Amino acid sequence: MNDFLTFAMNVVALGLPLVLAALGGLVSERSGIMNIALEGKLLGAACATSLVAASTGSPILGLGAGLLTATILSLGLVWLTQSLRIDHVVAGMAINLISLGGTNFAAKALIDQNQLSGAPTLAKEMYWGLGVLAAVVIIVGFARTRPGLHLFAVGEDPHKSRQMGLSPIRVRVGALLTTGILCGLGGALILTNAGGFTDGMTAGRGFIALAAVILAGWRPGAAVAAALAFGAIEALRIQLQGAPVFGVEIPTEAWASLPYIATLIALTGFLGKTSPPAGLGRI
Amino acid sequence: MKNGHHWALIIIVLALSIFPIFLTGTPLPDAARSFWESSIGQPRGWVVTLRELSPLLIGGVAVLIALRAGLFNIGAEGQMLVGACAATAVALQMPNVSGAILAAIAGMVAGALWAYPAGWLKAYRGGHEVISTIMLNQIAVRLTAWFVKSPMKDPNQIADTSPRLAGAAEWVPVASFGRAHLTWAIPIGLLLCWLLWYWLRHRVAGYELQAVGANPRAAKVAGVNVSQITTRAMAASGALSGLAGATIVLADQGRFYENISAGRGFDALGVALLAGGNPLFVIPTSMVFAILNAGTSGMGLEGIPKGLSGLILGGLILIVGSLRTKTGGSDE
Repeated sequence: MNDFLTFAMNVVALGLPLVLAALGGLVSERSGIMNIALEGKLLGAACATSLVAASTGSPILGLGAGLLTATILSLGLVWLTQSLRIDHVVAGMAINLISLGGTNFAAKALIDQNQLSGAPTLAKEMYWGLGVLAAVVIIVGFARTRPGLHLFAVGEDPHKSRQMGLSPIRVRVGALLTTGILCGLGGALILTNAGGFTDGMTAGRGFIALAAVILAGWRPGAAVAAALAFGAIEALRIQLQGAPVFGVEIPTEAWASLPYIATLIALTGFLGKTSPPAGLGRI
Repeated sequence: MKNGHHWALIIIVLALSIFPIFLTGTPLPDAARSFWESSIGQPRGWVVTLRELSPLLIGGVAVLIALRAGLFNIGAEGQMLVGACAATAVALQMPNVSGAILAAIAGMVAGALWAYPAGWLKAYRGGHEVISTIMLNQIAVRLTAWFVKSPMKDPNQIADTSPRLAGAAEWVPVASFGRAHLTWAIPIGLLLCWLLWYWLRHRVAGYELQAVGANPRAAKVAGVNVSQITTRAMAASGALSGLAGATIVLADQGRFYENISAGRGFDALGVALLAGGNPLFVIPTSMVFAILNAGTSGMGLEGIPKGLSGLILGGLILIVGSLRTKTGGSDE
């Protein structure tokens, strides 16, 4: 029983950053902006949180910096894709590159390495509460509120929604602002879990979150479930440490690949056809 | 330059590329000199630049062929990794000249197999190739990491690395200038650029591939087998990426280790975008990226972290992306 409790706690701890990032990705993609830059936002937020918390000694300022960084990167994606008309994939990939490079640079150049591991952080439970809140608000908001419907309309068909009197760009700015905040929280939580910033510490979690969104067919409840399931896989991987399951030795890399394999299978559509928002990635 | 947004982007990118240098306390002229000397200003720079060039040249052609068919091959990174891993496995078994050739072929086969699911998903199941190649990249990183930790690990090393290839399995330089070697990878890459250019321009299949990239619906109406071309273009792109990965091992590193491609697959996408769809332009653009990679890694000696290259390359990709908004009808 005690084992189970530890496992459940691990699922929450490892799953919630994925839930936060997946919800962020969902809001963005629902508004029609393809978001392969979740990884970059998480990493940027984790780095900024750690740098500012370590240099000022204030975990709140740290979180603020993390939220700000992720939001800037997120709104950057709107600017790049909407005003500069850069392809969503190109813009997202460039943001990932910039974030990976920028965090490597900042962590090495700006601050004494020893200081980074001692950065003060806020309690994990606060993030957990915010994560649950965000999940509830988005699941309910998607189906039952006006902004939720606006988001849906703009993502499906920006031209028609403009004729209906909506401003697609305004809806998208709002959506990506939300994405930025959620990814900022997710990145700060990843940092809190790890205790200190290391180069490339998000280790593909942004892509796992993206996988959760796709696996869930762009539905919020399912996305939360998928993200938690991926958290459970990570928790199992850590708990087992490569120990045999039913007499079969499964390397930890195989566990780590499971979310991606599941998503590839989901893309075949054999498990039931889901379709992305019709206007995703266009304009 | 359509409007002020483009200028704003250029200013932001320049600021992101130069301002960080001030933060390190290294005087700008010192940093610039270090960049120049470690890329093309001195022979020791050419050693690194030429080494960086071959995977970017071949990888650039690889991404470009997919791009012309309207496919974003974000998966070049993963295809390079499996290509490098497969090439190492073959070259370790056959430490002779035929092994060196077979290893390159093994790299191509592995890369093609790794890209094939993405093409198939796109062509027959409507799965977006960007999503599937991102997933395949992540799996490739972990699969090859496992290979080098378990079956392929050199037992005499503490670090996870394959044994060094025996002399004959490594590619010999075509020509040497001091310590700067021109390996076979570079003439092969140049030939591939020309071949692709010729094929796209003078062959029916090449024309059909471009038709699919420009407008799949129109191509279909005109009687082109869109699904087949999409699948084949992706597999061909994977094969070339795999070859690029193989050259990293065969012509440069001489062994395989975790994450050996180190982001070159993403650089290759930048190379192809900058070339603007023309295979011959891959030659200068891959050179630009090779110089940037060599120069920024050389600046590491001046205390400037290597992350700067990500800032510069990412910024460059954005500027190129803003100049050509649509790189092929990926969906419409």
